[in-house]
Amino acid sequence: MTTKGVTGDMDRKENEKPMLILKDIHKFYGNNEVLKGVSLEVRRGELVTFVGPSGCGKTTLLRLIGGFTDISAGDIILDGQRINDLPPNLRDTRICFQNYALFPHMTVAENVGYGLKINKWPKDKTAARVRELLEMVELDTFGDRMIDKLSGGQQQRVAFARALSLEPKVLLLDEPLSNLDANLRLVMREEIRKLQERLHITTVFVTHDQFEAMAISDRLVVMKDGLIEQVGTPIEIYERPANEFIAGFVGYVNFMEGRIESIDETTCNTVVNTEYGRLEITLEQDDVKTGDDVLMVIRPESVSLSLDCGDKSQNVLCGALKSYMYAGSIAKCTVTIGDRTMIIDQYNPRDAQQFQHADRVEVEIPRSVHLLKKK
Amino acid sequence: MATVELSLKLQASSGSKIKDFLNANLINILAAFLFLLLAFFLLYPIIAVLLKSFRGPSGFTLQYYQNFFSKNYYYQSLYNTLLLGVINTVVCLVIGFCLAYMTTRGPWILRKPLKIISLVPLIAPPYLFALSLIILFGRNGLITKMFDLHWQLYGFGGVVISQTLAFIPLAYMMIENTLMSLNPNLEESAYDMGASEATILRTITIPLLAPGLLKAALLIFVMTIAEFGNAAILGGRTPFLAPDTYTMITGESDFNMGSVLSVVMIAPCILIFFIHNYLLEGKQFTTIGGKPVASEPRKITPLIQVPFMIITTVAAGAIFVCFAVVFAASFYKILGVTHNIVLSNYLDFTSNQAIYNSIRVSFVAAVIGAIIGVLLAYVIVRGKFFGRTFIEMVSLSGFALPGTVLGIGYLLAFSAPPLKLTGGIMILALNCVFRFLAVGVEAGISKLHQIHIEIEEASADLGASFLTTFYKIVLPIMFPAFIAGFIYTFMTAIVSLSAVVFLVSPGFDLAAVKIFDAAVYGEIGIASATTMKLVLIVMICMLILNFISNKTRLGSSMKKSAAV
Repeated sequence: MTTKGVTGDMDRKENEKPMLILKDIHKFYGNNEVLKGVSLEVRRGELVTFVGPSGCGKTTLLRLIGGFTDISAGDIILDGQRINDLPPNLRDTRICFQNYALFPHMTVAENVGYGLKINKWPKDKTAARVRELLEMVELDTFGDRMIDKLSGGQQQRVAFARALSLEPKVLLLDEPLSNLDANLRLVMREEIRKLQERLHITTVFVTHDQFEAMAISDRLVVMKDGLIEQVGTPIEIYERPANEFIAGFVGYVNFMEGRIESIDETTCNTVVNTEYGRLEITLEQDDVKTGDDVLMVIRPESVSLSLDCGDKSQNVLCGALKSYMYAGSIAKCTVTIGDRTMIIDQYNPRDAQQFQHADRVEVEIPRSVHLLKKK
Repeated sequence: MATVELSLKLQASSGSKIKDFLNANLINILAAFLFLLLAFFLLYPIIAVLLKSFRGPSGFTLQYYQNFFSKNYYYQSLYNTLLLGVINTVVCLVIGFCLAYMTTRGPWILRKPLKIISLVPLIAPPYLFALSLIILFGRNGLITKMFDLHWQLYGFGGVVISQTLAFIPLAYMMIENTLMSLNPNLEESAYDMGASEATILRTITIPLLAPGLLKAALLIFVMTIAEFGNAAILGGRTPFLAPDTYTMITGESDFNMGSVLSVVMIAPCILIFFIHNYLLEGKQFTTIGGKPVASEPRKITPLIQVPFMIITTVAAGAIFVCFAVVFAASFYKILGVTHNIVLSNYLDFTSNQAIYNSIRVSFVAAVIGAIIGVLLAYVIVRGKFFGRTFIEMVSLSGFALPGTVLGIGYLLAFSAPPLKLTGGIMILALNCVFRFLAVGVEAGISKLHQIHIEIEEASADLGASFLTTFYKIVLPIMFPAFIAGFIYTFMTAIVSLSAVVFLVSPGFDLAAVKIFDAAVYGEIGIASATTMKLVLIVMICMLILNFISNKTRLGSSMKKSAAV
């Protein structure tokens, strides 16, 4: 009994230890510092996405973890072991490149089995494992095909299967979907996520597409200029961005300046004074206090529009409708309030067609607005 | 409204029918004209050689071929030539691969210097190496005398060594090119899957490079068996086809046997040309491209790094020594025999006269070559007429043909009316134009491939005629290619020896021929000084070319990828 309990505890402890730890990583190319001290812990079975504009260092960071680039300073710890100086062939990480890097002179099965062959697996075991992997990515009848006889999505699956063949501790995916067309990208994104969850494999995903990042990840790592700007779940990043850059990077945002007039400690009822009047919100953060100058982060879809300008209820501002653009699932409205322009998304645009010819509209700011402290 | 417009259009078109016809067919007329030039100055001389090899005093005969295959001497010559080709190709390929591997995969600090040394022989006429070997290992050579050696430089060994050194840059450039085109992620993937450096080389790099390596091998083989200078200077009593052809013509005036030897030399070229074009067609592997990235240096295992470094160091060292020795020798009457430093070699009147002649001939050749090259490139890329690929094939073929063949061909074709050109500067210039047409055409084709046809269509859409579009749009865009073609042709023409050696007339020496004669007669000082002058001229050309490619887009993409 006790033994069992102890091992259970140990298992749990083992499981709580992060799979991958990056400690204050720096990388120089000549005098150019592309990573300026990056620290991160990736939990077991987690899918973490590095996202950021091009040149932010996300691919370099991935290549550092894979061992393709030397780090200038810092430590990489994989499952408790420091792997700074291990070459890629001795690291228990596998990478899937953006262009798949499938070996064009080999068949699908030979590609998937390449790592097994290199690691001297017996022939029958290799064959069985290759079959299992191909079944997993639903390409079991494609084993004998040459690579150039596959579609882009199929090549992507082969690359994925090849990277998984040796059951790596960490799977590295470098913009794996960027060569696929829009629809296939959605399908493959879901498949990758499903497989990743089923195999419970720790995965680092790199993309410049913020929507892809939000859809697929457990946690996002938003990077800019060689630094991590924020780490968090998709909801945290979107709803509670740490700064203006992140707020703007993960979606369109309307900013409105104001000053906190009062905070009710018990109800969290907070009044923000803006140049268009007082707005009341429910505060869900503790990094601001009364008297602070703040930026209100107002997402286009959180605002509601209405026509009746009669009763001046709370959080309602009056504005002029400048443009109304129908785009299928939503309609994009541009409303000017004073000298400020606000973008507002209306869902079910068929119902919202009434706005098309209106010029005066009411804009209701939601109570759940996030505040950024102005520096 | 519509009818008015229509009738207006009709009127306009009927009014300038001839002009319209010209406009629509100008490209075809141009193509026909260019093809006539190719036929007359490239195909006709080759056919003349072929005919001569079959034509005896009493009509058609196979007598000369029978001669060739029955005499042991010719057999030996053929055997030596082919063996030289094989050895040369293998050695150049190995050295070229090691160099290219180090400059594309090796440590950053080694990449640039190794690349420069590998390409340095390009600025030298190929026979510089023969010359430097004579200075070092000849009967009175520095090393021969220093160690009192009794060996024989003149013969098979000497030719192999000098040829190898001369063809390293070609091998290097072609292999480097294929290595650069290989997506580094492929090797990295293998590395990632646990493969060691040697395993990556064996299972990924070399199999994927195989088509490219084979192409390089074929080209080097063709070029080495046709190369004249080194074999002629260092061959001694060992027979090789190219110099034998020369003796056959100049020594014995036997045009029939000379033609037979030429045809025998063309045969492997044609065979290889077909292998190249048909067997290897579409064998290049394609993969989904991402952003092109320069490989980051890997930690290459000593198992590979050490032998590769030994090979590259020896090759680079040998190249360096050869240059240094010729440079030194140019300041002595005979280096190692006389001990006074003199400038007389540089002031020598016949040498300078030859240089002057060479510049004149090469300049004329470069002007004509660049114009024809640009026009041909345009016709080949944009034309839609039947036989386009044939024109491309013919215009590129001059480069792969043994120079001796075109030398004899021009002698046979243009020494009698209706077009008697022998004895003048024109026959030399035209010979160079059509032998080296490939460089100008290639420069033009690659430039044209960078330009979307939409640019020309846009011009036409705005109402410009074909001529206006060509004059206002195509020519300005093609100008860098024209300059590149000009300088390439100039450079290649000024050092070339194998064809012009047949065509120079007494009293009108070219620099390359002067060096050849001086080397054969032991005037080492003069030969070295003249070589150095050529090296200087070629270096200046390269600098100009480099400057131009930096100024235009021709080389900027190359630079970018090198800088990454």
